[in-house]
Amino acid sequence: MFDSFNQTPFLHTAITIGSFLILAIGLVGALTKKNLFKIFISFAIAETALFIYFIGMHFEVGKVAPILTDKVTQFSTNMVDPVPQAMILTTIVIAIAVLALSLSFIINYFKLTNNMEVDKMDELGEDR
Amino acid sequence: MSLKKDIKLHSLSVSLVVSVMTILLLSIFLNFSLVSDSLGVQILSLNADETATANAVTSVVTYFRGFDTLGEVTILFLSIFGIGLGLDGYREKLNIFAFENQLIKIAVDILFPLIILFGFYIIIHGHLSPGGGFQGGVVIASGFLLMFLAKNDDFSLNHKIISIAEALSGAGFILLGLLGLLLADRFLGNFLPLGSIGSLFSGGVIPLIYIFVGIKVSAEITALIEYFIRIKDV
Repeated sequence: MFDSFNQTPFLHTAITIGSFLILAIGLVGALTKKNLFKIFISFAIAETALFIYFIGMHFEVGKVAPILTDKVTQFSTNMVDPVPQAMILTTIVIAIAVLALSLSFIINYFKLTNNMEVDKMDELGEDR
Repeated sequence: MSLKKDIKLHSLSVSLVVSVMTILLLSIFLNFSLVSDSLGVQILSLNADETATANAVTSVVTYFRGFDTLGEVTILFLSIFGIGLGLDGYREKLNIFAFENQLIKIAVDILFPLIILFGFYIIIHGHLSPGGGFQGGVVIASGFLLMFLAKNDDFSLNHKIISIAEALSGAGFILLGLLGLLLADRFLGNFLPLGSIGSLFSGGVIPLIYIFVGIKVSAEITALIEYFIRIKDV
């Protein structure tokens, strides 16, 4: 019964639609929330869609992780592509660095102005 | 026409355009298929002879794309440096997670060395099993986070040791790259004997690079935790 779900095209479709949904959740959060912290956490959620898409689309049913173990003793074409995984490792670290830097900017902004709402920001002299 | 209706029409047309574009983009993405002769296949065929690591992801991160890892570590360093400049005077601030719990206070003495040991295990076995410098570094930083939670204001980091560890590991990474340039063919090239696949001493310079990355990442994330956890005014 579950064999029809355990096929590569079905998994790729599910991963594509699911990662689009996560991206939509993050973008809607970033566009509708007024709190600065919530906006940047929404961007972090939207980034996870990219990670899931990249890792998931390079998986095929029947392939194994590109790591030698007791049972898998030789590198072959029966392994998952290691390049996207290494690139996503890089991306995750950079995402952490950028998120931490932006959160520290928010903390400093709150200390200076005692305000964390996007609608009440008027430091550049706009009329409201 | 009132202003309210204008805005409604505007947002309606925007959402229509966005949904049409999303459907078009999905129809492109759903036709995705993997090519059989990709870069990854060639790297997998090279991996057994050229790097002799059991973990192909590690050899991509530290050998085939080692220069990118240097840039990535530099980005992490610059971001933590900027955070330290911005959140100035954290040493006089209090821990925001300050609470008294005797259970954690007693357990942390047993758990802290084990977490540090586990982090170093993950760093050192990065070329044999899933894991590596970044993952092990974050595990070590989580041990320090447990110390901050348990001993709230009694525990503070020695920033001299942290900056020395960070600077030496960064310099060691670049020194390994320059040695590869001098003794082997390219920057971060391999100049050490390869060993046999699966043993701890294998892979040439790859374990050394990952150990430096692990020390650097653990020092940086630990400093990051202290910056963010001490923001309460006295």
